[in-house]
Amino acid sequence: MTPTDLVDANLLRTMIVVATPLLVAALGELVLERAGILNLAIEGMVTLGAAAAFVVLFAMAGLTGGVALSLLSAATAATVVGLVLAYLCVGLRANQITVGLGLLIFSLGAASLLYRAVVGVTTSPPRVPTLTPEAVPGLAEIPYLGTVLFRHNLFVYAALLLVVPVWWLLFRTPLGLRIRATGENPKSADSLGLPVQRIRYGAVLAGSALIGLAGAFFPLVLTGGWSESTVGGRGWLALMLVIFGRWRPWQVVAGALLFAYVDAVGFVFAATSRLIPVQFLQMLPYVLAIAVLVQVYQRAQAPAALAKPYDREARY
Amino acid sequence: MAEAASARGVAVRASDVAVEMAGVSKRFGSVQALHAVDFSCRAGEVHALLGENGAGKTSLMNVLAGLYRADAGTIRLHGRVVEMRSPRDAIAHDIGMVHQHFELVQAFSAFENIVLGAEKRVWSMDADRHRGAIAKLARRYGFDVDLDRHVRDLEIGDQQKVEILRILATGARVLILDEPTTHLTPIEVERLFGSVREFARSGLTVILIAHKLREILAVADRLTVLRRGRLVGTLDAADADEPGVVEMMIGERGALGTASCPRTVVGPGTVLAVRGAASAEDQRAVDLADVDLTVRSGELVGVAGVAGNGQKELVELLCGLRPLAAGSILLGERDVSRCSVRERIRAGLATLPGDRIREGILPGAPLFESYALGLHQVWDHSGWRPGTVRDEAQSMIGRFRVVAPGADAPTAVLSGGNIQKVLVARALAIAGQGGDSVLVAMNPTSGLDVGAAAFVHGQLGAMCMRGAGVLLISEDLEELLAMCHRILVLYRGQIVGSYEREAFDRYAIGAGMVGSGD
Repeated sequence: MTPTDLVDANLLRTMIVVATPLLVAALGELVLERAGILNLAIEGMVTLGAAAAFVVLFAMAGLTGGVALSLLSAATAATVVGLVLAYLCVGLRANQITVGLGLLIFSLGAASLLYRAVVGVTTSPPRVPTLTPEAVPGLAEIPYLGTVLFRHNLFVYAALLLVVPVWWLLFRTPLGLRIRATGENPKSADSLGLPVQRIRYGAVLAGSALIGLAGAFFPLVLTGGWSESTVGGRGWLALMLVIFGRWRPWQVVAGALLFAYVDAVGFVFAATSRLIPVQFLQMLPYVLAIAVLVQVYQRAQAPAALAKPYDREARY
Repeated sequence: MAEAASARGVAVRASDVAVEMAGVSKRFGSVQALHAVDFSCRAGEVHALLGENGAGKTSLMNVLAGLYRADAGTIRLHGRVVEMRSPRDAIAHDIGMVHQHFELVQAFSAFENIVLGAEKRVWSMDADRHRGAIAKLARRYGFDVDLDRHVRDLEIGDQQKVEILRILATGARVLILDEPTTHLTPIEVERLFGSVREFARSGLTVILIAHKLREILAVADRLTVLRRGRLVGTLDAADADEPGVVEMMIGERGALGTASCPRTVVGPGTVLAVRGAASAEDQRAVDLADVDLTVRSGELVGVAGVAGNGQKELVELLCGLRPLAAGSILLGERDVSRCSVRERIRAGLATLPGDRIREGILPGAPLFESYALGLHQVWDHSGWRPGTVRDEAQSMIGRFRVVAPGADAPTAVLSGGNIQKVLVARALAIAGQGGDSVLVAMNPTSGLDVGAAAFVHGQLGAMCMRGAGVLLISEDLEELLAMCHRILVLYRGQIVGSYEREAFDRYAIGAGMVGSGD
């Protein structure tokens, strides 16, 4: 291990791949939270999305359209959970922490159930082929940068570029202004005649779909398989990234890359170093998360109405 | 005013009835907020809606603005029956309401707040067109605000301008202003009323909710008075005389218990002395610097200032919640600069906090526990038994005629006025032990009706009579002018002026409050 290994092209390439599910899930959560809804079920929704994508890939092994259908099923599964979340938290104004944790447990269970129902119990877990990276003609030949940036498959690019439409929607369109107003001060939006409930429903469903898609990256791009521990806390990391990025899309992406880097360093070290125990390396992103959050959280500006149910006739 | 040309080019006769509400009722839980109220106002007039707190003024207007759904009653606009299911319906019928506690998005710029309601498109914003339209409105009515600043950085008077602009920008023709003068200095009130007259001249209908009568008589065309959820009557402002309207507002309870200056022998003993006090630096608060103030025995000293100039911080500094960076605080002869909250309470310092719900009580706890909070510091610890405390609270309820279901009822079920009575009772018990005690009261009558305010004023005076000192920190300049022996002006964390009672000058004090004094 030498210092140059820390900026190794393959390490940085791995960082980008590892970052994709984090940033897709975090951007989904960002949309939700900007509308004032806290989604503590995120880890479960990512896991469920991963399971839904995997079983479709497994069942359709090799058939055309399998990938598209797996993405669709991942998004749909998480959106169904999101619909329940929206109905309880927006429609019935239930406590978002209680509902979120309840749906977390539900989603984790549903993911396992789905897997068992389709795959069954096996001694060696089945795998599906992950999507092969494709070199961008010409650009991939640039030394160093070509390896880091231009030897990925289409989904990785799509994930990296997702921040552009999310940012544009939230900060450049009247719709985004309305979503953010709903998260900052729903009464303000309501008194101007904006449909607060409808905006919150929409944001929850759209955000949930993204969170489900993030799950699909695990079988499709990262692991090729599914188990209860495939997602392994990355949903929680995404939740944390929203805070880390102070509810701003570009900072969320920067945060996702930073954490993915630490994660990737762990991977590479685990493969090459005998000095440091693997478990310790796997712990690194979470240690970093705690250290960074303590610093950032003090100055963070959360949407003012985050996790607060809105009732027009409430007198306090 | 026979004719007023509306902005849409149609001549509207001033006698046209723009809004007519009939038989409107609304109940919240066990409280009947509105009993079959009738209300109507004409296009192009300024119509004041008067009444004490809890009279139902805001509830009635919330029904008109679509925020509350009435249990019964009909609304007619220009003779046509309309259904108000939500603010969306109200906006569609060109009705807009500016709430007492502004409903702005603090994290947005003024411009974003205004276009939020005005922009109807979904995917793209025509910013230039909106800026043009807003500038036109701002010029016409004299609302000059920097559109690109964040609302949270704007002075409260500017926030109000933004709030009114955003309602105008939705195309409102009926503008409801709920207690618009609450946070304003006398000069700002005059300017606002200038704009209100201008609204009426341009054909808008303005409904002003108010409980300060004097200023309203100068601007309104007609008045409607509500009392305890019922209509008392409607009359022309020209025919209204102050005592008559007051009687309509408060009913058979008779004469208005106005605030008056306690006729006490002031001094010579000093009960509270603050010398060169400064608060420790805090980004989220106004930093106090070089604060010098003295309250003598029997003296009622006022602190005037626009909200957010360090009033809350001053209270916190005195009662020990905020660290002192420099200077000293003396209670009587004793230096309490380094003392804890508990020691200060025991030394006879009582507080009436500005936010009585959040800082004064435990909303979900039984009344007797809220009452005991703080008071437990001065009680002998062997006396802390729920039974004794409950009895003590029960007797307090009787003595101060607190309207409460009982000492065990959750504190939050009490009305604002009754909660304040409990807090006053508690402060009296803390400060009532000796001559050296001090009461620090922040906005003690804000949001209270005339009866409850008179009670609070009476108790403040009684404290002075007993030789204690009172520091009255209030945003209500009229209250200070009526009650205080001396008024200090607080501006951006510093005392910028001091006026003895003989030399009170409303305009000089008002100028000091906005930083343009001397």
